[in-house]
Amino acid sequence: MPLTTDIADFVQKVITAMGLTLTTSVEESPEGTRINLVGDDGGVLIRRGGEALQALQHVVATTFRKQLGEDNRIIIDCNGFRRDKDAEIRQMAKHMAGKARSSGMPQEMGPLNPYERRIVHLAISEEPGASSESIGDAFMKTVIISAQK
Amino acid sequence: MADEAAVDGASPLRAVVEVVVRALVDQPDAVRVTESVRRGMTVLELTTAPGDMGKIIGRQGRTAAAIRTLVAATAERHGQRAQLDIRD
Repeated sequence: MPLTTDIADFVQKVITAMGLTLTTSVEESPEGTRINLVGDDGGVLIRRGGEALQALQHVVATTFRKQLGEDNRIIIDCNGFRRDKDAEIRQMAKHMAGKARSSGMPQEMGPLNPYERRIVHLAISEEPGASSESIGDAFMKTVIISAQK
Repeated sequence: MADEAAVDGASPLRAVVEVVVRALVDQPDAVRVTESVRRGMTVLELTTAPGDMGKIIGRQGRTAAAIRTLVAATAERHGQRAQLDIRD
């Protein structure tokens, strides 16, 4: 897809401007198109909870919003940071579903951004006997996981 | 090409702002970034076409915050401190 190439080229241009040497590769995944950045300079993007990686993700999503449309997602990862964090969120969601089922009490995930909330909803949709719902205002949203009645 | 020159130029801080901002706006040719040093801190001043200012700031200032984060990461990488002023 030429759009993916355009996006990967733009990401490469930004990280080069930042003075970082990272190898870019593109991969199709169930969550969307992943752009993987790999290399020793990745620490600059990953430190402080992946602050700069998140910033880069926001800039790319904003720049290509119109071309990408609703269902086309781009995920930028660096040295597997995002992948590991996503797996952690998925695991946490499943754990909360188990707790909701055994106790009958709704369980609340911590503060989550839209991308993370989507991971939770997708994970819970595969969990028998559990449902999920986003709550909270624009600044601080989370997901409540309940046992299904 | 103007933005190629910026990437190859001396300052990575300016290059980062130029590459990112030019991608976000409708009028990339109107983007100006100047750089100066005040008390050990690199100060970048950004101007765009008036109609493009909203795109740079973004909803709840999220885009401006993202650009500032990338500038800070770049500055840290080069052992500098930097500040981005968005002129409106």
